Amino acid sequence: MSRHQLGEFEEIVMLSVGILYKEAYGVAIIDEIEGRLNRKVSIGALQTVLRRLENKGYLTSEFGEATNVRGGKRKRYFSLTLLGSRVLQETKEQRMEMFRAIPRVAFPKS
Amino acid sequence: MNQVPDIQPPGFFLRFFRWYCDPSIAEDIEGDLREMFARDVSRGGLAKARMQLSFRILRLFRPGIIKKIGHQPSFNRSSPMFKNYFITSTRSLLRNKGFSVINIVGLAVGFATFSLISFYVYNELTFDRYHQNADRIFRIVENLRTENEELFQSTSSPPMGPHFLKDFPEVENYVRLQQWNLLAQRNDISGYERDCYIADSTVFDVFSFKLLRGDRKTALREPFSIVLTKSMAKKYFGDEDPVGQTLKMDYDNYKVTGVMEDVPENSHFRFSNLISFTTWSRNNKDAEDRQWFWNGFHTYVLMREAESADKVRAKMKDFLTRNIEKGGMYYEDLPLQPLTSIYMAPPRSWENGTRGSINNVYILSIIAVFILMIACFNYINLATARASRRLKEVGLRKSLGALRRMLVAQFLGESLIVTFIASLIAVLVAWIALPAFRTLVESPLSFSILPDSWKVLGAAFALIVFVGVLAGAYPAFIISGFQPLQIFRPSARGIFGHHNLRKVLVGIQFMISITLVAGTMLVYDQLDVVRNQELGFDKDGVLVVPTNGDTAIVKYLDAVKNELMRVKGVSHVAGSTSIPGQSANNLYTEIEMTDGKMSPTNINYIFVDHDFLSAYDIELVAGRNFQRDVKADDTTAFLINETAVKDFKWTPEEAIGKRIQLRSPGKIIGVIKDFHYRSLHTKVEPLMLAMTTYVRLMSIRIESDDVPGTVERVQSKWKELIPYLPFDYSFLDVEFDRQYKADQQLGKVAGVFTGLAIFIGCLGLLGLTSFVVERRTKEIGIRKVLGASVSSVVLLITREFIWLIGIALVVATPLTWYLIERWEQNFTLQAVINPLRFVMAGLAVMFFAWLTISFLSLRAASANPTQALRTE
Repeated sequence: MSRHQLGEFEEIVMLSVGILYKEAYGVAIIDEIEGRLNRKVSIGALQTVLRRLENKGYLTSEFGEATNVRGGKRKRYFSLTLLGSRVLQETKEQRMEMFRAIPRVAFPKS
Repeated sequence: MNQVPDIQPPGFFLRFFRWYCDPSIAEDIEGDLREMFARDVSRGGLAKARMQLSFRILRLFRPGIIKKIGHQPSFNRSSPMFKNYFITSTRSLLRNKGFSVINIVGLAVGFATFSLISFYVYNELTFDRYHQNADRIFRIVENLRTENEELFQSTSSPPMGPHFLKDFPEVENYVRLQQWNLLAQRNDISGYERDCYIADSTVFDVFSFKLLRGDRKTALREPFSIVLTKSMAKKYFGDEDPVGQTLKMDYDNYKVTGVMEDVPENSHFRFSNLISFTTWSRNNKDAEDRQWFWNGFHTYVLMREAESADKVRAKMKDFLTRNIEKGGMYYEDLPLQPLTSIYMAPPRSWENGTRGSINNVYILSIIAVFILMIACFNYINLATARASRRLKEVGLRKSLGALRRMLVAQFLGESLIVTFIASLIAVLVAWIALPAFRTLVESPLSFSILPDSWKVLGAAFALIVFVGVLAGAYPAFIISGFQPLQIFRPSARGIFGHHNLRKVLVGIQFMISITLVAGTMLVYDQLDVVRNQELGFDKDGVLVVPTNGDTAIVKYLDAVKNELMRVKGVSHVAGSTSIPGQSANNLYTEIEMTDGKMSPTNINYIFVDHDFLSAYDIELVAGRNFQRDVKADDTTAFLINETAVKDFKWTPEEAIGKRIQLRSPGKIIGVIKDFHYRSLHTKVEPLMLAMTTYVRLMSIRIESDDVPGTVERVQSKWKELIPYLPFDYSFLDVEFDRQYKADQQLGKVAGVFTGLAIFIGCLGLLGLTSFVVERRTKEIGIRKVLGASVSSVVLLITREFIWLIGIALVVATPLTWYLIERWEQNFTLQAVINPLRFVMAGLAVMFFAWLTISFLSLRAASANPTQALRTE
């Protein structure tokens, strides 16, 4: 499954998109990540990753309704595709498998 | 979300964002930005929010967000479209053959002149760079202070080189050179070698002259060794091997120890052979070690590093006080001239070789740029004028969804095609014109001086693109900016709104033309003044023959002169060490001042015989000339010129009888009027005349209408008297005028290129008029039907241009005035700038413009109006 390698930030973005379900647009994703992980996310970094994931077919997007706020600009809502969710799943399992493979003695006693 | 709808984000950064962002994703990201901005405002205040917004937008400027160039979701990606552009461009070029030819010819001539002049300028600016150590070689020059003046000399004295090497660890090597003029003889070939140089044996270590035969370390070690250049070896030895053979020069036999490559043309001094320095120094050991004020040599030092010149300069004061006594004469400073700057530097006295003129380089560069500008303006004018023809095409393309960007690309491409074709023709033109250009600038301009060919090609390519874009950009933006609706609606107002720019451009063309014409005329005025200047002597009809101090002539001088005098047509014969227009000897002398003390100074000398003054018609102001019956005159009599008298604050009468100490004591017996014994670029400096029999040159004044016949008779007499000395004559006025070679060249070159500039300008004008006439065919037809005369119609069309010429004249006058005034500062005697020249230039330009315009407008005006009105 090495074809579907996710970067760390890509993985976080995809997870956030999953969490937010139906409400996953730019600002909301930033808030989600900043709130949960306590790290700064720049809109530039986020948007490039979103487009990249969309190009890879992991995410899909559609415009919301136009409103008067946001200068009349529509929101673009992202959601996981089937491929995207499968890749996410695989990534998780790989991590878990590796984590489980660590022998107990390797963890230093605290 | 908390919305603060009143507060708008700063527009500038948003516009910037919209400009660079990929349009397919721009909307939602801008929405996000606005949302975050609004939140920031409610949280932390407006200023902070703005800053964060701009910061975010800058961070969004990254691949993935920026729109991809050329990868638009449109049809210009496909090659058929490019093919279509190409076809339409070619078709439009072919359809308007006249315009295309004007554009291409104008640009081609512009490119050709530009590249030729660039070649010349490059040549002038890269003198002496071929030496491997060029940036580490410096020439020691002197600022010498005497009691009366400060002398700026290019020469230095013999001990300087060795002491530099001894005292400054930064100095790696040095070489001293002195120019000699010797008569070379071998079998029956003889000739004056004016560019012999004696040189230290280190000459090949300092400079990168290529030694073909012989050993570079030892070739110039022994006295009477000589290294010949290839061409001199060929001249005297033909196909024989010269190495090891002897060559007689003056009275000595020199042993040829080497053969070297000819000195490249782009060297500030050139020589035909090098003679070992020991040839001179073996008998002048004392002078070599101690004569700190005998400034007869050019000394070049090789530094270990290019930067260390400054270090040496810093220690110069100390060097001077340590080594040289401060007497009545002392060195203010010993500047170090970088080798590569010598050719263009303002000349000091006693320069070796030839010098260029930075002013001429500037002037020619300006002309080159001017000509290219005129050609570019032609393109801009004709392209915008012609735009109306292309409007339908543009409209159609736009209706079918062409973006402005694509249209700009198309029209820029078109101008690049035109420039490219023009450049190909330009190469041809330049190639054909190169030999003529070489003669014009009197410079060999060999291709070997150019840098790597890829650099030249790169520069040429850059120039083509630059000119193509410069000429094409404005028309491209204008044409592509039209709205389709505006184009298809018949009342196409506003489309021709760029009339004004066209006027400005034509006006500038006129201005340039007037500047060039007036400038050329003023340059010729100045040259005339120089040529007709009162020289203080009569330079016409004087035949100069070198004798190089031939012992027989020295011994039997009066007899030889008498014999020559008897030739029909000869009125005077005089001998001297140098002649007016050449150099003079600068010698250490002590002169009695008004207070009776002897004061040391360096002063110029010409050594003459009894007939020098009368042969050259130089007037005496006070005292008397040298006299044959006063035997003491031969050694103790001196004549002095007026400038010197003024410098010493004497009256001419006071000067008589003042004591002089040269080699032996003497007295001033007369004061002569100033005459220009050197260039007119320099002021007349103090001069002394003294007697000698050691004659190096014979001046023969011819007073006869049959000059060639007289020269022939003198020659046959010469052959009879002194058969072994070549009769290598020249005319003094020709030699004298040669000093203004650079200036005269400038005049000629400026004249030629002014003609070219006017030609290109007229081409453009022709195109423009034909366009105007074409557009106004109907108007002219109607006017004529209503009773307008031919002349009034012609006036209608020409009026506009006449106006422009008037304005151009007003602008060009002060500009030219200023430039010419600067240039004239090179001369000691300056021509008065004649305002009439500007009027003449204006009239000349107007004449050519009128000729061009009226040719077409007359045809339009005299055509039958029915023809014009029936077309539809």
